[in-house]
Amino acid sequence: MHGNRFRHNFLTALLLAPATAWLVVFLVLPFIAIAIFSVGERAPEGGYQAAFTFAQYANLPARATAFWNTMVLAPVGALACLLVAYPVAYYLALRAPARWRLILLALVVIPFWTSLLMRTYAWMYILGGRGIPALLAFVGIEDVRLINTPGAVLLGIVYGYLPLMILPIYVSLERLDRRLLEASADLGATPLSTFVGVTLKLSLPGVMTGFSLVMILLLGEYLIPTLLGGGKVFFIGNALVDLFLQSRNWPFGSAIAITLVAVSVVVLIAANRISTRVSGARRVDLI
Amino acid sequence: MSKSYRDGLPISPEKFVDQLMRLKRGSIGRRDFLGLTGLGIATAVMAREIGIMPTPAFAAENLGDRMSIATWPNYHDPQTFENFKKDTGVAVEVNVFGSNEEMLAKLQAGASGWSLFVPTNYTISTYKKLGIIEPLDMAKLPNFDGTQEDPRFTSEGTIDKVIYAVPKNWGTTGFAVNTKKLTKPMTSWKEFWDTAMAEGDGRTMVHDYQLTTIGNALKYYGYSFNSLKQDELAKAEELLLKVKPHLFAVSSDYQPGMRAGDAWMTMCWTNDGAQLHRDIPEIAYVLGKEGGEIWTDFYAIPKDAPNKPAGYALLNYLMNPQVAVKEHLANGAPSTDARVNKLLPKEVLDNPILYPAADLLTPLEFGAAATLTDPGRAELMARFKSA
Amino acid sequence: MRAFVTAVFAFLYLPIALVVLFSFNAGRHASEFTGFSVQWYGTALSNPFLVEALKNSLFIATTSALLAAVCGTAAALGLARVGVRTRAVFDALLGAAIVVPGVVIGISTLVALVQLFAVVNPFLASIWPGDQPPKLSLGYGSIIAAHGLFSMALVTMIVGTRLGSLDRNLVEASSDLYATPLTTFRSIVLPQIMPAVVAGFLLAFTFSFDDFIVAFFVAGAQTTLPIYVFASIRRGVTPEINAIATIVLVASVLLVVLAQWQLRQRKPSN
Repeated sequence: MHGNRFRHNFLTALLLAPATAWLVVFLVLPFIAIAIFSVGERAPEGGYQAAFTFAQYANLPARATAFWNTMVLAPVGALACLLVAYPVAYYLALRAPARWRLILLALVVIPFWTSLLMRTYAWMYILGGRGIPALLAFVGIEDVRLINTPGAVLLGIVYGYLPLMILPIYVSLERLDRRLLEASADLGATPLSTFVGVTLKLSLPGVMTGFSLVMILLLGEYLIPTLLGGGKVFFIGNALVDLFLQSRNWPFGSAIAITLVAVSVVVLIAANRISTRVSGARRVDLI
Repeated sequence: MSKSYRDGLPISPEKFVDQLMRLKRGSIGRRDFLGLTGLGIATAVMAREIGIMPTPAFAAENLGDRMSIATWPNYHDPQTFENFKKDTGVAVEVNVFGSNEEMLAKLQAGASGWSLFVPTNYTISTYKKLGIIEPLDMAKLPNFDGTQEDPRFTSEGTIDKVIYAVPKNWGTTGFAVNTKKLTKPMTSWKEFWDTAMAEGDGRTMVHDYQLTTIGNALKYYGYSFNSLKQDELAKAEELLLKVKPHLFAVSSDYQPGMRAGDAWMTMCWTNDGAQLHRDIPEIAYVLGKEGGEIWTDFYAIPKDAPNKPAGYALLNYLMNPQVAVKEHLANGAPSTDARVNKLLPKEVLDNPILYPAADLLTPLEFGAAATLTDPGRAELMARFKSA
Repeated sequence: MRAFVTAVFAFLYLPIALVVLFSFNAGRHASEFTGFSVQWYGTALSNPFLVEALKNSLFIATTSALLAAVCGTAAALGLARVGVRTRAVFDALLGAAIVVPGVVIGISTLVALVQLFAVVNPFLASIWPGDQPPKLSLGYGSIIAAHGLFSMALVTMIVGTRLGSLDRNLVEASSDLYATPLTTFRSIVLPQIMPAVVAGFLLAFTFSFDDFIVAFFVAGAQTTLPIYVFASIRRGVTPEINAIATIVLVASVLLVVLAQWQLRQRKPSN
């Protein structure tokens, strides 16, 4: 019995060891490093200088606008993404011919294998003066500006995160028992009430997963606002990149990073709670 | 010739084993291994034998087959590196950066992998203070001739009589205007900022760079480009916040916007101004008559450069006036070297974008190291960008 | 509905089409189409830095995704065997690994590794018998690990959820029939969690292959494809980058078609 238990524990430890080592060296240690930085001071030439002060945290309101913009962008971007993604996932899971399903699904992922930078630069071209505005000028609508607008940023975000939203919703819809839909229709429910009462309800875990994943990744986004927004809209990701790479105020950047991670964890937990309450599922089903 | 030929002979057995061990440990890649053990040398020998390369000062050293340089976008004639590869067998990888601070951050963190880089004047003292650049061994740079350099541009490369960096070219920071869209002639920073809020509304770009954006806003009131005074910076901030809603973009990558016709006016460095004007004649380059920035870009070698011999070789190659003149023609920024200026066609020397009239040059200021590292200006910039 | 889905696919592929189009540009710039040419394919494939960046990216993405899939699956299996408290600690760590933004992962990993090397390297030097002690430095290892962290956490969560919905009766039946734990795992558990493992692998590969900001910090002197692309775009010579992107695109489409064909061969009824 003892031997058995020992073997059980040993195997458990063995299974967890690689992940634990990985998490310690590449998550806990870096986190400790920025935690130490965050109570330090900026060196005169930039960088970090040892100290113990909470001045960096007290200075957080200096980036309040960036925090606020991010808190608006993340849910709005995720929602826009969801509105585009849901019909696609629905079609792929329930309407598309079975033999096309894999190909169509792959077609959703393949754009991701072309660098995001190149795709975003392509959008800069399409929205820029030689793209759509040139076409509009051709039909007589002059001097339309699309690039560097909030709309362009939103478009870029929907574009960049669409597959991350489609996949989890697809998985949750695909597992759906079609007999339920038929039963609902047989019982005289309208298509709309079948959709709301059965399909939407059962796909909620996937929706929540996609929504929280996209929202969390949007909390750190900086490239799309920079390229398609012309650097005029400032998000927390931009603030971080600036502090670490431009003004090299590493302590302040670290304090912001720690705050952002804390906020993100809270968001993740809240999303978990909501999805548990709504769907009765145990945890967020990430795919 | 015979000496360099002997140097090109295949690697010694001891050295080969040494390299093999390094390869096994993974401290060099397979490609480096090939280069270090002969491939690169073979190419170099061939080049020497057919006489492409005049007996160079660096022939005595093993140059490997690759190196990387950190530099600015649109800054070199791509042909330069191809020719260097033909001559020496060393392929040059170009890492492009958007700002001096990005370079500094990466070099400060260590293991950048560069053997040559292009810092701007005001960062050199910081690099020296941090101890991450190499005092240059001038014996390895026979092509450099200090007597031919204008001291106005070279002084910041020398600290305590030690040369840490040699100048590449100099330039100014003015603004570029699409004169078809904005027809009113402009000559000052005051007009730049006022136009940005009027005819240039929604079509004006400023740098994503505190040094120039704040510096040129200070010029609106005639203050020093490098000012660190509270009250003057407060005025500049007031102006920047007022202009912000009227801007097209806050970005240092302004060529695409200007070329596509989305932006009509932008803060602009000399070489970009010359390139834009060359391709699109209606884009003019203007120096504010109140003053503004004058700068010099230097070449320097990091202390931890993985391939110093190749770094020196490339630097020496770039200091060759025949090469530098082609670089000059490609990127458009004026040279600091009198030998290069002699080789330039007259129309270049007469180009007012590159060689502005003396009365425009006089009020210009070099950016100061303190301006760049000032935390107050960094926070001002953040407030401007997040407004 | 079909019209909408078609429109979304057009939206997804419009920029891709532009990337492909400009790979056949005769001119130097990706902003003006001046004529048709395939010269950039030749230039791209004979550019050692670009080819090496592509190879690096493929190697890094494959390795980090494999490691993430294996370690993540092992961790999920291990977590199914531990108490509530250990589990909570792990869940928090895995959650944190997913939510930390790339720029923070990049800079903090860089800082931590540089500190770690400063301690470990002199130590290695002091205990090393030979002249040239091993020296830890930034490179493949650090990129692979930094990329794999996010992916591993994702795999652990995905596989963990699958394990939660696993039919325990089958597992018990299997051991009642005196199957060894290994046999049970191979024939009952693994097939059920495999889709989650594969999905995790693909996500991990995609993430690593497209990441710029983490690699920018921890790559040391290595160049990955996104780093190269970032530099090139700013340098204004994109057609060769477009050519490489097109090659990658065609290769991945072929791979998918091949996979589809294989699946149909295996299961003719479907």
